[in-house]
Amino acid sequence: MSELSLSAARRGALVKSIRKLPLGLRMLAIVAVAIVAIVFPAFEGSDSFVMYTATQALVYGLAIVSLNLLVGFGGQISLGQAGFLAIGGYAAALLAIHVSGLPIPIEVLGAGAATAVIGFLLGLPTGRLRGHYLAILTLGFGVAIPEIALNWTSLTQGRTGLTVPPPRIGNTIFPTPTELYYFSLVVLVICLVAIFSILASSTGRAFAAVRDSEAAATAMGINVTATKVLLFTTSAFFAGVAGDLDAHLQGLVSPDSFPFSLSLFFFAAVVLGGLASVWGSLAGAVILAVIEAETSSSSGWEPVILGGAVVLLLLFLPRGLADFPYRAQQALRRWRGRKPRAAVPPSRAEVS
Amino acid sequence: MHNFFQFVIGGLGFGGIYAFAALGLVLIFKTSGVVNFAFGAMATVVTLTLWSLLNHAGLPFAAAWVLAMVIAMLIGGFTNGVLMRRIERSAVLVQIVLTLGLLILIEGLAGVLWGYGPKSIPQPLSGNPVNVASFLITPNDLFIIGLTVGVGLLLFVVFEWTRVGLAMRAIAADREVASLMGIRTNLYVTGSWALGTALSGIAAILVAPSLGLEPTMMDQVAVFAFAAAIVGGFGSLIGAVVGGFLIGVASNLIAAYVSTNLQLTLIFAVIVAVLYVRPDGLFGRQAVSRQ
Repeated sequence: MSELSLSAARRGALVKSIRKLPLGLRMLAIVAVAIVAIVFPAFEGSDSFVMYTATQALVYGLAIVSLNLLVGFGGQISLGQAGFLAIGGYAAALLAIHVSGLPIPIEVLGAGAATAVIGFLLGLPTGRLRGHYLAILTLGFGVAIPEIALNWTSLTQGRTGLTVPPPRIGNTIFPTPTELYYFSLVVLVICLVAIFSILASSTGRAFAAVRDSEAAATAMGINVTATKVLLFTTSAFFAGVAGDLDAHLQGLVSPDSFPFSLSLFFFAAVVLGGLASVWGSLAGAVILAVIEAETSSSSGWEPVILGGAVVLLLLFLPRGLADFPYRAQQALRRWRGRKPRAAVPPSRAEVS
Repeated sequence: MHNFFQFVIGGLGFGGIYAFAALGLVLIFKTSGVVNFAFGAMATVVTLTLWSLLNHAGLPFAAAWVLAMVIAMLIGGFTNGVLMRRIERSAVLVQIVLTLGLLILIEGLAGVLWGYGPKSIPQPLSGNPVNVASFLITPNDLFIIGLTVGVGLLLFVVFEWTRVGLAMRAIAADREVASLMGIRTNLYVTGSWALGTALSGIAAILVAPSLGLEPTMMDQVAVFAFAAAIVGGFGSLIGAVVGGFLIGVASNLIAAYVSTNLQLTLIFAVIVAVLYVRPDGLFGRQAVSRQ
């Protein structure tokens, strides 16, 4: 097998080091994003399609960050992330339908936990598999889940799907688009805090160590198989929560809601945003949601734009959109620095 | 028992189709170390081109088929020569992602250019099932089986007994050393992409009459093709052919005895089982990887 010849040592590193802005500028950007996210409904709240798209961006954001955990931070691969969303969505629907008066935090945790169990099982063989085999395994998983949902009619109602009631706390329900937006935003922020804590912990460093070199990680005393299984479990948990949010947003879960192309689009968004960049993934989610909203009427340009962007970015900007702030800052510096000097040396054209 | 064997024989036609798709995947993987996840989309474009040649240019079926093969080789050669070569030293994951990007892009372009409504192309051979040793089999299935076995054997002979095959095996073993030995590695790798895409194209042309030709037609075939390649060991051409027939027969038996709706799920179970028990497949050699 050619993994022998083109061994990791001779190939380039998977994740190029992320070039960040200084801390102050980053904080400023985060505060700006937070303010926009919070006050956004005050301006657009009356337009339910815009609010739907914004909420979809939040849901995709969590799903894409969960995939980036696996791909960018862990060096693994999943072509079946939509399968995790499906499990989370069905779990949420079943909990909301069959357990009356279930507090929403318990429902969200339940959806995440149910998906995490499946993620654990899917992660078990990954100790022995990597690269292409893992991609094929997860691809099979992603196409099998909707088929199971379609045929397990006693649980899932088959093609009809399950109607999902709006989220509720106590006796208050949150059915309007603006309320759904804030509900999703709160859940997303809590998840992001959890994800950043995991990434900053020794577990997060173990993920990166396994990604960069399994042999070196083993030498450092890291249990590679256990780390990979934990990574799949964690990624599945957050994808399941995203599935829960998506179920409430759509009001319906059905086998058709989780096509293979959705997994592919998530993957495209991870690459667009930049591997191992949470903020990049969130940007990728906004782009995905907006492209989806803008192209839903016209015929089929969404995959052309996304696929074309992935191909071009990989060939020309392998760090993804996450590299843009740094590039912009550098360009600004060069522009400022060059301005006074530009007049002094004559350009080539003037000499000749 | 007679029914059982009838179902086995009924699965061989689709088995040959999966074998062609797996052959294309394995051939490209052997020389370039890349699993081409875009193979289905490329093969579909080849078949849509064939449809246009039949319906707009009015070519006879055989001529259109030959032209479609030429176009398949151009698509495959272009993909490696212009795109994949630029990242041949990147991490495996980056190469996988590029083929995934191509899958999204090409499927989308096919949808924009040809539309999403299903089209039909004729089978290579029409006609009622014939009786062979008390089993019924259609002439088209016989044609597919014969073509698969023939092409599989031809590839095997080329790979094992000719200088071209020797060069390709050298590239598969170690591309850098092969290049030091004076083998024009880029030419051979691009050639295998061209040939591999043509093989996938044959699979798509053969499957289109049964599935209905539309841009995402090959998405489901892809799962069976990957399963076939994995069963065969993902590096063995004979393994790909045997794996294709095994998966074709297995899915026909599943449809006959279990359920027609759970084929993908059970094929997924087969993939999991093979990867758990024998990750190198039935014909693969133990892979050694330094990391």
